[in-house]
Amino acid sequence: MKLAQICRHGFRDWRCWAALWLLLSLGLFGWLWWDARSWLLGSPEASFRYTALNEWPVWVLWWFLAPLILWVHGRLTLLDRHWPWALALHCLMAFLITGGFILVIAIRLLLANHLPWAFLPVILRDLRSVGKWDYLPLMIYCMAIFALYAVSYYRQWRAGQLLTGELRVANAKLETRLVRASLDALKMQLHPHFLFNTLNSITSLIRNNRTREAEDVVAGLGELLRRALEHRQEAMDTLEHELEFLRRYFEIESIRFQDRLQVEYDIAPDCLPAQVPCLMLQPLVENAMKHGISREPSARLLRISARRERERLVLSVYNDGPALPRDELLGSSGIGVQNTRTRLHMLYGDAARFELRDHPPHGVLARLTFPFATLTSHDHDHRPHPHPDR
Amino acid sequence: MTTSSRILWGMTLAMSGAGALMLAVFLGPRHDLPVMPRPATDKDVLRVAHVQPVWPDPHRWGFPLPTQNQFVLCLWEPLIECDPETGQPQPAAAEGWRWSDDRRALTIALRRDGRWSNGEPVTARDFVRAWRRLLLQDGGQAAVLFPVENAEKFHREKGADGGSLGLEVVDDFTLRIKLGAVRSTFVAELADPLLSPLHESTEKVLKEERYRREPATLVTNGAFCLERAKAGSFRLKTNVHYHGRSTVRLAGVEYICADNFRMARLLVAAGRADLMAPIPAGSPTAVPTRRCLTEESEMAMVITAMDLNVTRGPLRDPRVRRALALAMDRAGSIRKDDADRLVPAYAWVPDMPGRPRLSLLKENADEARRLLAEAGYPGGRNFPVLIMPMSARDANYGYWQAWTERWFRELGIRTYLAFQTEEERKRGMKTGDYDVYPSGLIATVPDAGDMLGVFAFPETFSGTRWINPEMKRLLAEANNTTGLERLQRLEQIERQAMEAVPTIPMMFERRRTLLSVEVEGWYADPLGRQALKRLALRPLENGEPARPNAL
Repeated sequence: MKLAQICRHGFRDWRCWAALWLLLSLGLFGWLWWDARSWLLGSPEASFRYTALNEWPVWVLWWFLAPLILWVHGRLTLLDRHWPWALALHCLMAFLITGGFILVIAIRLLLANHLPWAFLPVILRDLRSVGKWDYLPLMIYCMAIFALYAVSYYRQWRAGQLLTGELRVANAKLETRLVRASLDALKMQLHPHFLFNTLNSITSLIRNNRTREAEDVVAGLGELLRRALEHRQEAMDTLEHELEFLRRYFEIESIRFQDRLQVEYDIAPDCLPAQVPCLMLQPLVENAMKHGISREPSARLLRISARRERERLVLSVYNDGPALPRDELLGSSGIGVQNTRTRLHMLYGDAARFELRDHPPHGVLARLTFPFATLTSHDHDHRPHPHPDR
Repeated sequence: MTTSSRILWGMTLAMSGAGALMLAVFLGPRHDLPVMPRPATDKDVLRVAHVQPVWPDPHRWGFPLPTQNQFVLCLWEPLIECDPETGQPQPAAAEGWRWSDDRRALTIALRRDGRWSNGEPVTARDFVRAWRRLLLQDGGQAAVLFPVENAEKFHREKGADGGSLGLEVVDDFTLRIKLGAVRSTFVAELADPLLSPLHESTEKVLKEERYRREPATLVTNGAFCLERAKAGSFRLKTNVHYHGRSTVRLAGVEYICADNFRMARLLVAAGRADLMAPIPAGSPTAVPTRRCLTEESEMAMVITAMDLNVTRGPLRDPRVRRALALAMDRAGSIRKDDADRLVPAYAWVPDMPGRPRLSLLKENADEARRLLAEAGYPGGRNFPVLIMPMSARDANYGYWQAWTERWFRELGIRTYLAFQTEEERKRGMKTGDYDVYPSGLIATVPDAGDMLGVFAFPETFSGTRWINPEMKRLLAEANNTTGLERLQRLEQIERQAMEAVPTIPMMFERRRTLLSVEVEGWYADPLGRQALKRLALRPLENGEPARPNAL
C-alpha cells in the first residue's frame, strides 16, 4: 500500500522523471563510450565506422532532446500574450533540431570516412544533392509540440471543469441556505395563523368565564411556541416529534371543541422515525378543524394516519365533516394548503405529492406522499436536501 | 523586465546564436579546401577508396565487381592474364600452354619460379584444389568452369565422382584440362580471378577468418600479400616471393572502405585515397579541393536489355519484336546524370579491344508502326497489355518506365510493370509467365563469344525462350576458329540474333574511374580486372599543383 502510494506520488513528481532520465542517459553514454573507447583513445586499429556511435540509429538523439523540448515548451507556454514570438521560436527550434539531425548524419559520415573537418560543408551539400536531408525531425517536433499543447490545454480545461464543479457545489450550498431561509419565512407565516386561531380560542374561553381552561390553553400554547422556536432552524423533524406537537395542539383545540373532537391515530411504528417537514401536518389538521369538524355539528372524527409504501411515506389527515367547497377543490387557495404545497415542492420537487379531496360517503381527506427517509446520528447527510430547482 | 520578456529574449538570443552557428557550418567554404598530405608510411602505397565490400576470398562472388576483381588479382595470380593493350591472353602463373590436336585438351606448364607468400612453390595441385572448391560453391560462380569436362556434373552432384572431372595434375608444374567441347576462348577465360589458386591452408584460414588476427596466415601468390585486415578495409604489402617482384613499383595497396560513392569521391579529393570507381551519377565535375585529378573511362562488357518471351501472344511474330526494338529512342531516354555512364545499344556486343560495336537496330518509329500494322496490330489495336515483372528496388525503374511509355506513345502498346518479389519473379521466369523481362548481362571473358553465348544456350542464360539451333551451330563453328574468321562468325551470330530480336538491347555501360594524377599506368579493361601491380605512383613536383581542378 505504502509502495503504491510512493509510486503514485513519485510519478507525479517531475524530479523522479528527471532522475530516471539522467540515470538512463548516463547508462547510454557509458555504453557508447565503452563501445567507442578504442577509437576515442586514438587507437590506430579502431575505426569510428564500426562503433555504436556510427551504427546506432540517429533517432537516439530524441532521447537527449526530449527534456530540452519539454523545457522550451514549458517556458514558451508562459508567453500567453506573446504567442507570435512563441510560434516563431518553436519554428526556429524545429529548424535547429532538423539541422542538428542532418549535421549529426554528416558528422558521422565525416568521421567514418576519415575526412578532415573542413569537408563538413561539402558533405552537407552532397547529402542535399542526393535528397538525404531528412525533414522528418521537423514534422516530429511539430507533432510533439502540438501534442504537448493539446495535453496542457486539456489539463487547463480539466482544472476549469473542477473549478466549475466546486462553484456549483458552493452555489448549491448557497441555494440550500436560501431555501432554508424561505422555509423559515413560511414557518413564520404559519405561526401567526396558528397564534391567531389559538388566541381566538383563549378569548372565547375568557368570554365564557372558563378561565381555568384558558390558563391551560395559554400554558399549552407556551409549550407549543417553545417547541416551535426550538425547531425554527430545522427544516425537518421526525414524525414522532410532529405527532407530539399535534397532541399539544389537540389539547388546546379539545378545549374549544369539548368532547365533540375524537382524534384517532393510525401510525405504523416504522414511520415514527421518518423525516417530515416541520409543522407540515399542523396546517392540515387546522384546516380539518376549521372547514370540517367545526362546520357540521355531527362531525367529530379526525384521523391521522401514517404508513410506508416502499420508499415513500404516506401521511393523511381525515375528517368526517362536510365535503369541500368547490373553490377549495379547484384551487385549494387556503394559505395553509398553499404553504404545504410550496414547502413540499421546495423540499422534494416532483417526488412529493399533495392531495385534498372529498372522501365519500362523507368527509375530506388530505394526503401527503413524499420520499421516506430517516435521520440517524451516522448518516446526517441522508437528510433530504432541498430540491435543487429551488 | 518581466519574467515573460526575459524568457523571450533569452531564448531568442540562444536559439538565434545556435541557428547562426549552424548556418555557418551549412554555408561554410566548399571550394579550394586543403589537401591532406600523403603520410610518409603511405609513400608508394596506392590507396583505393571502395564502397562495395571486398573479401580476400576469390570465390565469394558470382559476378565480381571491378574493385573485388582488382583486390583478388592483387593477392592471387591466375594462370593467365590479359594484355592491357590487346586484351589477348598471356602467361601469368603459367609459363605457357599447348592445345591438343582435337583442341579438347589444354596442357598448361606452370612457372617454376612461382612462389606463395610463405616461399613454397605454386603447384598444379593448388589450382586443382581451388577449382574443386569453386565447383562446390552454391552461387553461380562455378559456371566459369563448366566448359571443363564433367565440371557441371561435379557441381550438381556436390563433388561425387570427382575422378571423372577433366582436371589432371600431370606433375607439380603441369596441369592438363580436358574440355567438354571445343572452346577457343577458354585460355582467355582462365584469366578470371575466380580461377586463382589456393594454398592448402587458405580454405581454413578463410573459413575461420584467421587473417584478421594474423594477416600472414593468408598465403597468396600475387604481387601483394595481406598486411592488415580491419573490418572492411585492407592493407596489402609487396609479396617478397612474387616472381615478378622487380617489375612491381608499388610498395603496397590500401583498400579504404567508404560509406557511399560520394564519400569515396571526397576521399580522393581530400587526398586520403588515390583512386575510386565508379564515379557516382550526377557528381559535380569540380572537386572541393585543389587536388589534381583525372577521370578514366572504359566500356564495360555489360548490357541492359529487355527479354521478349517469344512463346507468348503477338511476341511470337518477329515483326512485332522488331517494331518494339525500333520504336525506342535510346539516346533520348538517357538522363542527364547518366550521360557519362550509359551508351545506347544498337547491337548486342559493346566496344571491346579489337572489335568495335555494331549498329544493327536503326531506330525508326515509322518503320516500327509499319511493321506492327503489317503484323495485324495497326496503332496497337487489339494488342494485349504486356506484362513486365519488376523488382520494387530496381535502380533502373525510371528507365523501364520511360521505355515502355515510349511503346505506348509510338505504337499504342500498353505495358504493365508488375512489382513482384524475387521468388515470384524466379517462378515466373521458370514458367514463362511474363511477356517482357528486364534483364542484363555481364561478360566474364573479353570476347564477343561470351556475350553471344546467350543466344546459343537460351535454356541456361536467357529469358527469351528463343531457341534457334543455327545459333548453337554457328557458335560451335566460331569456337573452332580463331582470329578474323572467328570474329566474322560471331558477327554473323549477332546479326541473325538482332534480326530475330528475341531480346531488345537497350544500354551499354561505361565505367568511370577517378584517379589522382599521381597514379601512373592506369589502363582500360572491359571486365574491370586491372592489375594494380602494373601501376605506380609518380611524385608531383612542388607538391600539389596550384591550379584549381575541374575534371
